[in-house]
Amino acid sequence: MSMQVGLPIGLVPGDSFVHKLNPLTKGAWVLGYMILAFTTKSLYLLYGMALVALVLGLIAGVRRAMVKGLAILLPVFCSIVPLQIIAPAVPTPWELAGKIGPLSLYTPGVYVALMLFGRIFSCLAIALVLLLTTHPSDLFTSLAKLRVPYMLNFMLAMTMQLIPVFQREVGIIMSAQKSRGMKGSGFSAVLPSFVPVFVGAIERVQQLSISLESRGFGSQGKKTSYRQVSAGPVDWVVGIAALLLPLGAIYSLTHGMLDQAKSLIFPPTLVVSLFVVCALSFLALIFGAAFLTGRK
Amino acid sequence: MTDPIVVLDEVSYVYQGADEAAIENISLRVMPGEYVAILGLNGAGKTTLGLTLNGVVPTMLGGELQGSVHVAGLNVADYAVREMAKVVGIVFDNPEFQMSQQTVAEEVALGLENAGVPFEDMKVAIDRALGMVGLSGFEDRSPLRLSGGQQQRLAIASVLAMRPQVLIMDEPTSNLDPIGKSEVFAMAGHLNRDEGMTIIVMEHEVEVMAEFADRIIVMDHGRIVMNGSPREVLTRVDELEALGLRAPASAELASLLEKDHGAWTGPLPITTEEAVESVNRALGVTT
Amino acid sequence: MSDSSGPLISVRDARYVYATGNVIALDSVNLTVHEGEIVGIIGQNGSGKTTLTKLLNGLLKPTSGHVVVNGADTAKHTVQQMASHIGYVFQNPNHQLFARTVTAELEFGPRNIGVPADEIAERVAKARDFFGLADYMDEHPYRVSFPIRKLVGIASIVTMAPRIIVLDEPSTGQDHRTTQVINDLIRRLRSEGTTVICVSHDMPLLADVVERVVVMKSATVIADASPREVFADAELMARTNLRAPQITQISLRTVVPQGGDVALGVPELADQISSWRSRQSDRREVRP
Repeated sequence: MSMQVGLPIGLVPGDSFVHKLNPLTKGAWVLGYMILAFTTKSLYLLYGMALVALVLGLIAGVRRAMVKGLAILLPVFCSIVPLQIIAPAVPTPWELAGKIGPLSLYTPGVYVALMLFGRIFSCLAIALVLLLTTHPSDLFTSLAKLRVPYMLNFMLAMTMQLIPVFQREVGIIMSAQKSRGMKGSGFSAVLPSFVPVFVGAIERVQQLSISLESRGFGSQGKKTSYRQVSAGPVDWVVGIAALLLPLGAIYSLTHGMLDQAKSLIFPPTLVVSLFVVCALSFLALIFGAAFLTGRK
Repeated sequence: MTDPIVVLDEVSYVYQGADEAAIENISLRVMPGEYVAILGLNGAGKTTLGLTLNGVVPTMLGGELQGSVHVAGLNVADYAVREMAKVVGIVFDNPEFQMSQQTVAEEVALGLENAGVPFEDMKVAIDRALGMVGLSGFEDRSPLRLSGGQQQRLAIASVLAMRPQVLIMDEPTSNLDPIGKSEVFAMAGHLNRDEGMTIIVMEHEVEVMAEFADRIIVMDHGRIVMNGSPREVLTRVDELEALGLRAPASAELASLLEKDHGAWTGPLPITTEEAVESVNRALGVTT
Repeated sequence: MSDSSGPLISVRDARYVYATGNVIALDSVNLTVHEGEIVGIIGQNGSGKTTLTKLLNGLLKPTSGHVVVNGADTAKHTVQQMASHIGYVFQNPNHQLFARTVTAELEFGPRNIGVPADEIAERVAKARDFFGLADYMDEHPYRVSFPIRKLVGIASIVTMAPRIIVLDEPSTGQDHRTTQVINDLIRRLRSEGTTVICVSHDMPLLADVVERVVVMKSATVIADASPREVFADAELMARTNLRAPQITQISLRTVVPQGGDVALGVPELADQISSWRSRQSDRREVRP
C-alpha cells in the first residue's frame, strides 16, 4: 500500500556550514545571484559566481547530487550554442565565421551563448546548493517568520509533498489502462487517465481536510512552530554579505553591463567546430532519450 | 454514577442533495472507558455517525442535522470542528490520506502548533504520543516512507497529541496487511485498557471485535438495530446473516450444530478459545 | 479448450530488482499454474506478491528468468498484447475507471481486444446481472458508491473473458456482502474453466474457494500447497505472521488432534463434530 515516494531533488542530510545556515540567508544569496546574473554580461563574473556555488556545494558535501542536478545543463548548452551561432541575439552587423551548406555561422554567437549559459549555470548552481542543504520544513518555517500567510505556506508545503504522490498515481493509472489493452502512448493515452487522477486528487484532499480540521488545524490566533530555525550572528553576517551581489549589479549596470564582446575574440575555426560539436551532441541526446523511452 | 461521555439523542442527518437520511433517529450513550464496536454494511451510516461526534457532520459537509450530540459534556453544535479536537479525535481508513507533513514529528505537532502550544510542551506531548503508539525514534522519518500500519499509528498519534478523551476509528484496518491490522488492534486495546481511553471503532473484523469490545452496535440503513454486549449481539447468527453481516465463525459453527444437527446445547461461543473449549467438551476430549 | 500439453503459466527463476535503491522485490521465484487452477497468493506487504502478479501480465519484465503466460513470453510482448491473454483487476478501482458510464466502462476492455459488437453487448448484460449493476449502468462510475465501483472494476475485466484473471486484493476494505459476491464470482469463474490468481489478505475468502495457496515472504515463495496444508502448518503461519481462518484454528485444536480433518469452512467442521458425536453415542449405546 505505501510505496516509496520522494522528490527527485531534495535535502541531502549533512552537518556542514552551509547546511546550518538559516534558509533565509541562503535564499538571499539565491536572489542576489539572480539579480546580478541578469544585469551583467561579464563572463568572468558569471562563471566566477558559478564556481563559487560549486565550491559551496563541495564544502556542503553534496557534490554527487549537484552533478545530477546540473546534468540538465548539458542539453541546454548543446542547444543554446548552435542556435546563437546561427542567429546571435545582438544587433547586426554580425561578423561571418563560415558557412555549412545553407547555414551561415556568425562569430558574435559564441559570446552570447556563453553569456546566456553562464546566467543559467550560475543561478541553477546556487539554487541547487539551497535545495540540497535545506530541509523543506525549515524553509517554510522561515517563510512563516517573514509573515507569509500560514495557509499559503501550508499549501506550498503540501504541494511539495503531493507532487511525487501524483507521479506515482499517474504511473499506476497508466499501468491499469495498459492492462485493459488500451493502445497508444503519448498524449491521447494520458488523457483518459486525467479523470482517475483528478478524482483521486479530490477524494484525497477531501479526506485530508476533514482529517486536518479534526486535529485542530486552521485555528485563529497565534501559532507556534515545532521546527526551530535559528538565526545567529553567522547567518546575519553571511546574509548581509549577500548585499554585495545587488551592489555588484548596480556597478555592472552603470558600466555597460561589463560587456566583454569587444575584448573576447573567437577565431572562426573555433566558431565552426563548436557549432558542429554542439549540434551533433544535441541530436544524439535527443535520439538517445527517444530510444530509451520508446523501449519501455 | 458517572455521566456518559458520548450522548446522541434522536439524531438524524440528510447529506446535502440526498433524498434519504444517512442516519435516522440515532440514540446512543457511551460511558467513559468503554470500547464500542459499530458493525454494518458499507452505507449503513457508520461513518456518518462517527462524523457527528466532532461536528464534521454537518458543518463541513452541509446537509441537515436533527437531534443533539454531546461529547464530554459539550454540545457539539456549539463548537467548531477544530475546537472539538481537544475532546474527540478521529482516524480514517486510508492512512496515507491523513499525512501532510515532511516528518513524523511535524505530523504529530500539527494540532499543537495550531493550538499555540509552546515549544517545550510540544516536545513533551510529541514524545508521549509517539510512545503510546510505539513509534518512538521515528521523529525524523518521512510519513510517506512508513508502512501502512505505521502510518495509521502515526495518524493515531497525531490525534492523541491533543489528549482527547474519545478516539473514533473509522475502519482503521481496511487498507492494512495482517501485520498492520494486529498492530492497530493491539494499540487500540492498549489505549483502552491501560490509558482508559473511550474507543469507538467501525469495523468489519467481527472476530477481533468479539475479543476487544465491551459493546457491539449494529447499524442497518441508517438505524441502530442491535445494541448490546458482544455475547448478546454476536450470538444472534441468523439475524446478522439476514442483515448481510457475519457472526464470528465460532458462533456460526455452534449455531449450525444446534439447528441442523441438534448437537449443541448451551450458550454460543464468540471467540476461538470459547469454541475450542466447548467443542472439546462436547467431543468428550479431556485437555 | 484446455491445452493439456503444458502449463498455462510458467514462471522460471524469475528475479525482479527495482532499479532505484537496488531492492530485490523477487528472488528466483518458480511457479507453474495449469489451466483451470484457482490459486491464492498470500503474504505480508513487501513479500513480493504484487511484484509477482505484475510479472504475469508484463507490467514488469523480469530482471532475469522467464515468464511465459498462455504461450506468450512476457519479455517479448507489450502489456496491451498480454491483455488478450490475462486480465488484471487492480486493487483500487479508482485507478482503472475513467469512462462516462458504467456500460461504457464494461465495453472498453473487450473492444480493445477486438471482440465483435454483439458479443460485447451479451457479455455486458451477463456481467450486469451477475454483479447486480442494473441500477447503475447509465451512471458515471465516480458517482456510485465505492463498493459498487469496486464491482464495476472487476466486471470490466470479466467482460474481456480472459483465460486468466488476476485479482489484486479484491475484498480488502469490503463488507461481508460484497465479499460474498466476490466469492461467488471466483466459483463461477472456476466452473467456466477460467484460471484465477487471487492475491488476498482475506484468509476466509481464500480458504473455501481456492485449491492452492502460494505463500510469499521476503521476495520468495516459501510454501505452495493446498489450503488445508498451508493453514494447518502452525510454524509457517507464525513465521509469516499470518493467521488461519478462525474455523480452521478451531478445527486444529479440536477434531484434528483426534484424527479428524482440517476444516476450511463452518459446515465442514459442523459435519465432522456432529458425526463424531453420533459415533460416540452409538458406542455408548452398544456398550452393555
